Amino acid sequence: MSSARSKMQDEVVTILDNRKINEKYFKLTFASKKLSRGVVPGQFLQLQIQPTFDPLLRRPFSYYRIKGERVEVLYEILGRGTGILSQKGKGSRVRILGPLGNPFSKPKAKKTTVLVAGGIGLPPLVFFAEKNKVDYLLIGGKSKAEVLPKSELSKVSGKVLYATNDGSYGKKGFVTVLLDELIHQQEDPRNLFVQTCGPKVMMQAVIDLARKYEIPGEASIDETMGCGVGACLGCMVETDKGLVPSCVEGPVFAFDSIRQSLV
Amino acid sequence: MTMNRPKQKNKEAKTPAAVDMTCRIKDLVFKNPVTVASGTFGTKDEYTSCVDYEKLGAVITKTITVKPRRGNPMPRICETPSGMLNAIGLQNKGLEDFIENKIPYFAGIKTPLIVNIAGEEENDFEILVKALHAHKKVVKALEINLSCPNVEAGGVSGMKKKEKIEKIIKTVRGETDLPIVAKLSPELGDVIEIAGEVLRAGADGLSLINTLKGLAVNIRTRQPRIANVTGGLSGPAIRPVALRYVYEVKKNYQVPVIASGGILTADDAMEFIIVGADLIALGTANFVNPTATMDVLRGIETFCRNQGIMSLSQIRGTFHVPPRQSCWQ
Repeated sequence: MSSARSKMQDEVVTILDNRKINEKYFKLTFASKKLSRGVVPGQFLQLQIQPTFDPLLRRPFSYYRIKGERVEVLYEILGRGTGILSQKGKGSRVRILGPLGNPFSKPKAKKTTVLVAGGIGLPPLVFFAEKNKVDYLLIGGKSKAEVLPKSELSKVSGKVLYATNDGSYGKKGFVTVLLDELIHQQEDPRNLFVQTCGPKVMMQAVIDLARKYEIPGEASIDETMGCGVGACLGCMVETDKGLVPSCVEGPVFAFDSIRQSLV
Repeated sequence: MTMNRPKQKNKEAKTPAAVDMTCRIKDLVFKNPVTVASGTFGTKDEYTSCVDYEKLGAVITKTITVKPRRGNPMPRICETPSGMLNAIGLQNKGLEDFIENKIPYFAGIKTPLIVNIAGEEENDFEILVKALHAHKKVVKALEINLSCPNVEAGGVSGMKKKEKIEKIIKTVRGETDLPIVAKLSPELGDVIEIAGEVLRAGADGLSLINTLKGLAVNIRTRQPRIANVTGGLSGPAIRPVALRYVYEVKKNYQVPVIASGGILTADDAMEFIIVGADLIALGTANFVNPTATMDVLRGIETFCRNQGIMSLSQIRGTFHVPPRQSCWQ
């Protein structure tokens, strides 16, 4: 915990690019040696939207991709803060604290790695699938509007499968339908290792399936955060170690350490 | 504002005379007025990568209770206009853990440690004070939390009886000669009147203000945005309220005041000092800007130098209202 904190940096960065990449998601790009150094998939940053403290609190975003010193953040407009962020053009400056939190663990030997992403939970898993050899990336969304352009997935290892709620792209239904099918194709599902990030309802369904078939895995749990450094105790998660702040003890937690229902 | 903060490599070394920033509560002297509001700075070393704890005037801990507390369900925080609501619910690991695991850490730091305490049961304050008084080499003062809006027992609603507040302060006073500061909130009632009572009961100073109870609604689900329904409002949204109470209390009583309530910048801090605040406690600011305390400290010094003020005592309490113009009829 302390070592992770000692590496974090708070820096004003210049936006290099901030553009819409599909009907729903924006991609923000900036360069920073400090905020890119040693970052691993699953970690996050806290972005101060305006220097005027309005909106007041910083917003947490997963690291999406690191290319040298260039950092990419994928986001969706979910409220006033992300709305303002989407209006910031090249050359705008924002203050960012990072890298924060603990990452997903690396693929296990002799395990089939399955990443299950839902909605805007996708970025850390794309980052993971670019950095590691994985077997499957299952992506769920409401509709085709959320589907990433092919260029965004060109470096992803493993097979990419989509499921959309309305059936407008990939399999119709929830992403857990894809996971369920995959589980049933296995001789022994316990050889799978599932890593997930997305809406809590989806992650709970993934955890329930994993528990049913004794599949190990990890989930990135994002409770509403204030500080991002373990001080405000706003983002607590019930684990085998007790009630711990998601921002410093997580956001990635092993399935078997989670002692609460996410919904 | 934060974009323009001065570089770490400070220019103070080049400046011949340092501004005298000292302040005091009873016999306890603080090298500068910058401290942190209880509950916003973790319990031990959460901010060490951003803040030099030795540069702070004091460190005020998160509230310690006799027994461990799990706090309230999630979500516990949400953003509001220029503020945030929190209903953490005094989560802490209890007195025993604090003495065993936190006090040794602060023993290695020269900055005075002020421990914030709250009671849930009748004799909790007695237990807390006795235990902490035994560590007076490290614990330099006590802040008595009389105004948490997010708990039932020991919270603001239970403290609305004046006799109860008076009894708590007398109990604490009877057990220690450490400086004691009562943390009050407008939620308790008439702050000026209650301030008088706690001072008569033996408090050495006041801490003003705690959060104000508020509500935020999710209009889609038509439910509260935090699980506890209501929470404590903090941040710049409450700054004018805090400023008013510090001003009015200082006008009535010449006692040390630790001021908090939406202080984010050195300019905010100067407003409080001008109306008479002795110490300045940054709270929500730490969440927004982890180096806020250091920025404010540098900013106060810079402001003073630019104004030709060599001691904060020259400007503290200098607020004055110009003669009133007659009303336009």
